[in-house]
Amino acid sequence: MPTIELSHVSKVYRTIKKDSGLRGAVKALFRPHYVEKVAVHDLSFHVDAGEVVGYIGVNGAGKSTTIKMLTGILHPSGGSIRVLGRDPHRERVANAREIGVVFGQRTQLWWDLALRESLNLIANIYELEPARYRQLLAEFAQTLELEELLSVPIRSMSLGQKMRAELAATFLHQPRVVYLDEPTIGLDVMVKERIRAFIRDQNQRNGTTVMLTTHDLDDIEQLCQRVIIIDAGSVVYDGPLSTIKQRFGTFRSIAFETAHPLEIEHLILPLGTAIASHGERALEVRFDRTVTSASQVATALMPQIEAIDFSLAEPDLESIIKQIYAGTHTAALREEVLV
Amino acid sequence: MTLALRRKGRLYRSIAVMTFKQYLAYNLWFWVQLLGQILMMTVFVFFWRAVYAGRGTVGGLEQQQTITYILLAQMIAPLVQWGQILPMGDLVREGMIAIELTRPVDLQERFYIETLSSLGYSLLQQVLTVGLFARFVFHLQLPSDPAIWAAFGLTLLLGNAILFCFDWMFACLAFYSTEVWGLHVVREGTVMFFSGALVPLVMLPGWLQSVASWMPFSQALYTPVALLSGIIPAAQAPQVWLVQLAWLAALAVGSRVVFRLAVRKVTVQGG
Amino acid sequence: MRRYARLYWHFLLQRFKILLEYRMNFVIGAGSTVLLQAAGLLAVWSVMRQIPDLNGWTFDEILLVYGLITLSKSINHMFADNLWIFGRAYIRTGGFDRFLVRPINPLFHLLADRFCHDGIGNFVVGIALVLKASLALHIAWTPINIAYCLVAVVSGGVIFIALNLLTAVSAFWIIDSIPVTSAIFQTHEFAKYPLTIYSRGIGIVMTWLIPYGFASFYPAAHLLGRPIGVLAWLGPLIAVALITLAYRIWLWGLSHYSSTGS
Ligand SMILES: Nc1ncnc2c1ncn2[C@@H]1O[C@H](COP(=O)(O)OP(=O)(O)OP(=O)(O)O)[C@@H](O)[C@H]1O
Ligand SMILES: [Mg+2]
Repeated sequence: MPTIELSHVSKVYRTIKKDSGLRGAVKALFRPHYVEKVAVHDLSFHVDAGEVVGYIGVNGAGKSTTIKMLTGILHPSGGSIRVLGRDPHRERVANAREIGVVFGQRTQLWWDLALRESLNLIANIYELEPARYRQLLAEFAQTLELEELLSVPIRSMSLGQKMRAELAATFLHQPRVVYLDEPTIGLDVMVKERIRAFIRDQNQRNGTTVMLTTHDLDDIEQLCQRVIIIDAGSVVYDGPLSTIKQRFGTFRSIAFETAHPLEIEHLILPLGTAIASHGERALEVRFDRTVTSASQVATALMPQIEAIDFSLAEPDLESIIKQIYAGTHTAALREEVLV
Repeated sequence: MTLALRRKGRLYRSIAVMTFKQYLAYNLWFWVQLLGQILMMTVFVFFWRAVYAGRGTVGGLEQQQTITYILLAQMIAPLVQWGQILPMGDLVREGMIAIELTRPVDLQERFYIETLSSLGYSLLQQVLTVGLFARFVFHLQLPSDPAIWAAFGLTLLLGNAILFCFDWMFACLAFYSTEVWGLHVVREGTVMFFSGALVPLVMLPGWLQSVASWMPFSQALYTPVALLSGIIPAAQAPQVWLVQLAWLAALAVGSRVVFRLAVRKVTVQGG
Repeated sequence: MRRYARLYWHFLLQRFKILLEYRMNFVIGAGSTVLLQAAGLLAVWSVMRQIPDLNGWTFDEILLVYGLITLSKSINHMFADNLWIFGRAYIRTGGFDRFLVRPINPLFHLLADRFCHDGIGNFVVGIALVLKASLALHIAWTPINIAYCLVAVVSGGVIFIALNLLTAVSAFWIIDSIPVTSAIFQTHEFAKYPLTIYSRGIGIVMTWLIPYGFASFYPAAHLLGRPIGVLAWLGPLIAVALITLAYRIWLWGLSHYSSTGS
């Protein structure tokens, strides 16, 4: 039995459109004018125990909506959801015992309470055994470097400190499934690293299933074996990270630095290449490595531009995802999924 | 000179228009406040009718006079109820005060214009809603002499300015305490009682009357309403104005000094 | 049940730690309600000292009515103040979603999240008024009277909470429910005085429609030995019926929320 299972899930938000002013308000009261917004449409996928899945998509793609349905906050307009064999909405309380959630910039800790007090309360809410709680607290304090923060109220913590505290609170009751909705938003590289290490560690030691939404592709590259990309509420890609890279990472780029100002108009480009960007003395050329090769491109261009330096760049996930988001590959991806 | 004045005029007009629009935006609040006022009016009228049952005068006032006073007081009460500490608390808490202070408009002037324009608007609103209700349900009786109305208008305007200056000083407490709601409630309790919104001040025992006279609050409600309901004869109006001007001068100076001290505290200690 | 009681205790403990940290706020908050009540009482006293009675009720008897409703109100104020700001502070900010992913009743969580210390002021004033009135009126504090008073005050508190809950549910639709709540809440002003001073219509509304009368007037009348028949005993029943209804409607609002998310 998969840990998370969605079949043909859809979610339609129905909001009342109000005209402004008193007349509008009264009219909305008696003859409401509904506007429907399909946030998620015919969504199906499943996640097995112990997987770490990256759930990505552009703003408004429906990621948070999916997470809200998985946690039982919202119920789907159609289709069915099972988490650990339960309907998360109908059996919300039972579900809540076994899951942990981080909602990006919103904290679950009490603003004015010292971190230790907040964690105490959470331990009480989840009915943790005192001995177990003490042990976990000591452990988390070490791995997340929280020792000095335990007596600090949340309101006076920095963003990074807050997020570390938040993670401790989320994993405190040892949930079997954890949803992280943009856990690294606005954090610096060091904190991101620490957080990723913690998540990886929890996943490996306890087999926690993790579903992660993020706009930071380093998160994905470092944590997830699998990604699900959604666009406009539907899955456009579901598979291993490596496949996307292989299949869509056929582009490479070479960056040149030149001795003299460039005259772009006079450049003759070899087949299968295009200018990605250029400055006064800088040029970046992108090429399809199934058509041409780095050495061919370099040999063709070097005589024309008097390069003093050049470098070859691997495709990063970001540029690939950008292309997918931009719709360039959507059709290709769909085929792939079908095949 | 005239150019500067005209520019100020335009600025103030736009502030006034914005306040008005904000009022309209809260239309649900509008109805609830109206309902609340009608409710309180009803409670008060029944209470006072029971007080007067079978008695000619109470505390030197006749039933009709008292009821007129109470109805009018309830109409004016929303104008004295709120003060400035809640908006000031918002400004201080969110650190907006620093930004406000760098704007090319004097903050106190701006708040005063807002208060003035909401005075005008609320008055109109009160007359058209609660006023009509009081007139037709509780038979509110008003003087017909335009001189009395003019005296009332001037007294109300002066009283409102006096209260504003007091409120401005009081609002400065927001620089020192985060519990602005509690402070607001303290102010509300004091102002509602000593302004005469609950009982005509002449009915209070002597010692309470003298306490009230040492406070500025009665100027904003009791004095104008007493003029209109005939408790203070119109002939005394000039004296009333003298007293009001004295209050206004003292509090205007006081409020500017206090505000400057409070702001200095923030800029020195960094909030 | 035991679990919730223990949990409430933990919430309360933490809340008091915060309040101790902001000691000044605690004093101002609790003190402010005392002052507000004092202003109202001073007004009543100023009037009542000039007349022997109000519609057959002496000043001390009115204090009993006033004290009982203040006590009932304080229960609501202390334990259910979050209902006022539910929409503003929990729905709008998404904070309510957090309650929904925790394994406890979200309504309990909402109420337990903030014990409101301002209500302590009302509680103290209420106790003082009832004591003062009972001493002046020679009401004997027999066990039966004490029990009756306790039940009356708790029922009154529940009536307050139920009406606020009923109106707070509107936050699921309109988010800022404060105007709706305050529209109903304000009517408790009627119940500060003996209901007999009003017209019959108002009396009926305050008894059967918005039954604040059971939080003050009816128990006071009973304690003073005035014949009001079965109305002396209806308070608890009405409180239970009303809170059950309110909770049902809350659940309905909750299911609306989980289908719209706003
Ligand atoms: N409560 C709501 N009522 C109406 N529409 C909503 C509501 N919540 C979300 N939507 C709409 O549903 C769509 C999906 O929103 P969702 O929050 O799931 O996106 P997301 O993928 O999490 O985006 P982001 O990356 O910006 O967080 C959006 O178009 C949004 O405007
Ligand atoms: Mg989102």
